[in-house]
Amino acid sequence: MEFKGLLAIITLSLLSLLWVFPAYTVLIGSLKSLEDVIGSPSFMPPKEVDLSTIVKVLSDMREPLINTLIVTVPVAFLATFVGSLTAYAIYRRFDRVSDTTIVLIAISTYIPYQVLLIPFINIIKGIERYLDITLFDTLPGLALGLATYYTPMASLLMTIFITVIPKDYIESALVDGAGEFKIFRRVVLPLLGPGLVSTFIFILIMTWNNFFIPLILTRGYDKHVALKIFSYVGQSGTLYNEMFAAALIGSIPPLVLFILLGRYFIRGLLALGTGGVR
Amino acid sequence: MELRYYVLFVLLTSIFTLLLYYGILWNLVVSLTNYSLLNPRIEIVGFRSFNELVVDEEFRDSFFRTLIWAGILVISGNILGVTIASLIFQVESPRVRNFFTTIFMYPIALSMVVVAIAWRWLFDHVKGVNVLLDLVGLPKVAWLQGDNAFWSLVFVSVWVYAGFVAMLYLAMFYNVDKTLIESAIVDGANTLQIMTRIVIPNSKQGFIVSTVFLTLFAIQMFDLPYSMLFYNPFTETIVIYIHKKFVAQYFYVASAAAIVVIVISAFLVIPYAMLGIKRWVLKR
Repeated sequence: MEFKGLLAIITLSLLSLLWVFPAYTVLIGSLKSLEDVIGSPSFMPPKEVDLSTIVKVLSDMREPLINTLIVTVPVAFLATFVGSLTAYAIYRRFDRVSDTTIVLIAISTYIPYQVLLIPFINIIKGIERYLDITLFDTLPGLALGLATYYTPMASLLMTIFITVIPKDYIESALVDGAGEFKIFRRVVLPLLGPGLVSTFIFILIMTWNNFFIPLILTRGYDKHVALKIFSYVGQSGTLYNEMFAAALIGSIPPLVLFILLGRYFIRGLLALGTGGVR
Repeated sequence: MELRYYVLFVLLTSIFTLLLYYGILWNLVVSLTNYSLLNPRIEIVGFRSFNELVVDEEFRDSFFRTLIWAGILVISGNILGVTIASLIFQVESPRVRNFFTTIFMYPIALSMVVVAIAWRWLFDHVKGVNVLLDLVGLPKVAWLQGDNAFWSLVFVSVWVYAGFVAMLYLAMFYNVDKTLIESAIVDGANTLQIMTRIVIPNSKQGFIVSTVFLTLFAIQMFDLPYSMLFYNPFTETIVIYIHKKFVAQYFYVASAAAIVVIVISAFLVIPYAMLGIKRWVLKR
């Protein structure tokens, strides 16, 4: 190996200690017993591994974990599918109308959603009155809130990913007399595989980690995992083992996705950032 | 594609997108009224809410605090991001490169609440890194007291986003024309010269993209300060201010502050979206 490569690896290793340290602290902290927590600094390894905290917190978090799964998976799926429909239309149309559509979608995606949530409550209240249903503080209401923000984002992502499909494929299908829906289903969807996976994984991680939207659209802490983790900050005082256990359990799904399918997540980020697919 | 099919295909996304624009419009309209818990009768009163913002010391503080946060996040995020990216760029093995990319990027795949909990305990006066400082004979630091809390949180935000910036730069580095680098090597340039004279100057787009994104991240900063220190006056950002006013049902003030956020982000986002989409997606 070259000298400069080795030097780079040594420097990176030292620097990465700063990135590993907090994760390590959370991991070992959640393995501590009560006496250990009271007596030791947060980053010291436990005297003996005590799994009771994790077991206890896991059973406390069952409901929010299931609720988050019920909400985020369908939202990510719907956003990805609807996004690919939009992307196909924009790719096919390719004129002033579709230019305007994508620019409007992009702007709404990059404007901080936090400031749009108060009006969103008004919209929800309006729908509630009009249809005589309850949305505020329900899982469908939370799903609607997440879908409102993440569907345009998924559409933007898919619009970028769809450009890898050669236009000739679609044109030859047109010559064969296929309709728009048939082309979308038979030609475009199968070729979009990696783009669909990237968008799905990206939206799934973002909705799983979202804190602000559930905070505004629900009450209590049981409808979303980020709220549940947050609830431990207030409740457990200085007993950091429970907080750490909650943080650890709530982070495992997005972290596993990130480590196993990180390249898809990174493709999503890169597409949003640079609009390029490498 | 015929227009009727086009409308059908973009219909659902358009509904959601229009809801977001409705939100912008709603904020604009409400900011011109007196809509609050105290005024059940809503009336248009003009720009009074913006006047109230300007004279409200709490808003001014949160406004400038957010701008300072953005400035420092942009500068340190870019410096650290370029450094990490340049180091990873020197590594030959793709596996080692992926390993380091994962390590520096994993915070962005975590909820900010989790990040806040981890660092809250490292900043703890008695049980945090102060123990290590004490061990090597350095004085303890009150990480979360007063203004220190702000700087500690700025540090955490840099920690979260540095890997993201590094990845943006790395993507640009790989797009730099290889022949430029090779001819520089033939001319006897060393690694540092190649990075500072060829690779980094040819990755200006990375700087633009990360600056836009880091500024946006700072302007919408809420989860991190809120979940670590709740309504701490030393770490109050514009979005926390908005949230506070919303909870207190001062809707017209919250909306006026929301308009401030929207205007700042529009200045960044509109040119970025127009140029970026044209150049990178439509590829005319």
